[in-house]
Amino acid sequence: MNMSNRNFVRALLLMAIAVLFGGVALTYPLGQLSRAGPGLVPLIVSSLLFFVGAISLVRSHFVAPVPLDYNVKSMALVLLGLGGFALISEHINMILGIVFLVFVSTFAGTSYSVVRNIKISLGLMAVAFAFKYLLGLQLPLY
Amino acid sequence: METLHNLAFGFEHALTLHNLMYCAIGCSVGTLIGMLPGLGPLSTISLLLPLTYSIPTGGAIIMLAGIYYGAQYGDSVSAITMKIPHASSIVACIDGYQMTLKGQTGLALFTAGVSSFIGGTVAIVVLSTMAVPLGEVGFLFGPADYCALMLLGFFCVSFVSSGSLLNGLAMAMVGVLLGSVGTDVNSGMPRYTMDVPALTDGIGLISIALGCFGIAEVMKNLDNKNVLTPFNGVIKLMPTWPEFKRIIPSALRGSVVGSILGIMPGGGPSMAQFAAYAVDKKFSKYKSEIGTGVIEGVAGQAAADEAAARTSFIPLMAIGIPENAVMALMMAAFIVKGIQPGPNMIASHPDLFWGLVASMWVGNCFLLIINVPMVKYWLSIFKIPYTVLFPAILFFCCVGTYSINNNLQDIYTTCVFGFMGYIFLRLDMEAAPLLLGFILGPMLEENFRRAMLLSRGSFDVFATRPISATLLSAIAALTIWQLVTFVRKLKKAPNHVISDDMSLQDSLVQGLSNTPQPAEKLH
Repeated sequence: MNMSNRNFVRALLLMAIAVLFGGVALTYPLGQLSRAGPGLVPLIVSSLLFFVGAISLVRSHFVAPVPLDYNVKSMALVLLGLGGFALISEHINMILGIVFLVFVSTFAGTSYSVVRNIKISLGLMAVAFAFKYLLGLQLPLY
Repeated sequence: METLHNLAFGFEHALTLHNLMYCAIGCSVGTLIGMLPGLGPLSTISLLLPLTYSIPTGGAIIMLAGIYYGAQYGDSVSAITMKIPHASSIVACIDGYQMTLKGQTGLALFTAGVSSFIGGTVAIVVLSTMAVPLGEVGFLFGPADYCALMLLGFFCVSFVSSGSLLNGLAMAMVGVLLGSVGTDVNSGMPRYTMDVPALTDGIGLISIALGCFGIAEVMKNLDNKNVLTPFNGVIKLMPTWPEFKRIIPSALRGSVVGSILGIMPGGGPSMAQFAAYAVDKKFSKYKSEIGTGVIEGVAGQAAADEAAARTSFIPLMAIGIPENAVMALMMAAFIVKGIQPGPNMIASHPDLFWGLVASMWVGNCFLLIINVPMVKYWLSIFKIPYTVLFPAILFFCCVGTYSINNNLQDIYTTCVFGFMGYIFLRLDMEAAPLLLGFILGPMLEENFRRAMLLSRGSFDVFATRPISATLLSAIAALTIWQLVTFVRKLKKAPNHVISDDMSLQDSLVQGLSNTPQPAEKLH
């Protein structure tokens, strides 16, 4: 078992998704082939997915391992920026949400500059105002 | 004669002031966004789809089509000048970038622009003559045939987009499962909703599209610390007459190849450009020079690219089945606008259908006008560093998600799919088959249940109907071919361990050229 092998992890993920969807599908009425219930098709697809995952698992032993490469920092910063944008826009306003999004997500970039972030925020605010007043989008800007 | 009459009817609609404006906006914005690093046609359409919601149906569809082929062209501009392509323009990197290295960027861009125009024009002829007869074929399809066609589509798209049938197929299945989230239309029973009211209507298409193609791409690009020098070269656009003459035969060959491959299940621009390039390598007068940066290496693939982008509308509009992920997104846009693509569409909405066909030619002219003389201004977009660009892309993803239901909570769903999309990207799991599976999943389930109901639960119906049997045989052939290829590789490989799956596109590029792989996205 090699959790840093991309092919192996991929096969495991596919099997996990299949088990998750297939397990829940079993709790729905399955009906018969001629009168399928809501659980039948998801169960068939999950079973096929599990089968494909299992083949991928076997196949990963015959394929040269490829290291699994990921960067938690950039992923976390982008998701934090987006989540914060939604939260601030909902409870305060979107202008502050834009500022939060720009200042947090740019930590994931190659360089960080407060002045540049202020310029980006101002530019995006101008775009947001254009969306609201020219395209008629209902953005909660203030 | 009837076709000409229909085209004239289409031009009446396409040439109204509003529709001209929507077409021009679609082409310009599509080109602009398509040129941005990391944003291919799928991401561009996903990002811009919400903009069309407040536009009348005819104009919205014309604008979306403009965005699509604009993005397609924009993608090839970034491939030629910066060697930063998306899947749809990877071949443009081979000779296009070689021409840039030789200081012939202007000539390469002119060739791509004119060839795209020729390709688009030929495709429109094919589209206007073949869509109606194919629409009549669509009436012959029963539920079992639709199921088989959708399955063939999954197989072909999986194979073309990810190279590995197994990985692509798995992603299509994940898409089908995600498509089953929500209320079951037959029984009214909620499935996989976890008692969350927002999920009773299912997962939003835009959340998946923007999450997997917008946000996930940004995260992936941020991982790549390569810094490429933005293009700042001087451009001499106009070719000499001998150079211009070399464009035509290659572009015509590419147009024919692209038009044919655009109609095939799983076909579309990605496949067409490889085929056109291979055809040029075989039949061109300058075949020995192809790969070193010559006109023929750009003209054929650019024409095929645009031709396939347009003819891939045929299966969608004639039969109602999208043949690739971009067309699936288009189908979703049609449905949002209350139009169900399929055999009845041409008869019930002739204004929309012929208006769209005619607008494609108008869009072709716009692309030529805005791209050939003005390309040097477009290129200034490459001077924007990625550090500035990516917060803007994230903001557009948020606005795009929010504007569908005016609900800020939808952004959280998009974030979840952004995270999942990133995991998929890192595990080399292509998201395009997932999107196709998500959109076609409910249709597949509906047709499967109907076929089973009509056959009283017997699978024989799939083998006894000629259309379904033929399509399923094609699937079997494709599967056997993949299996045989794998076993052969395994036998040849030392210690019975083969190297990791090389995507079909990568292997084709390596096969077609001896140039190194395209560089990754810029920062």
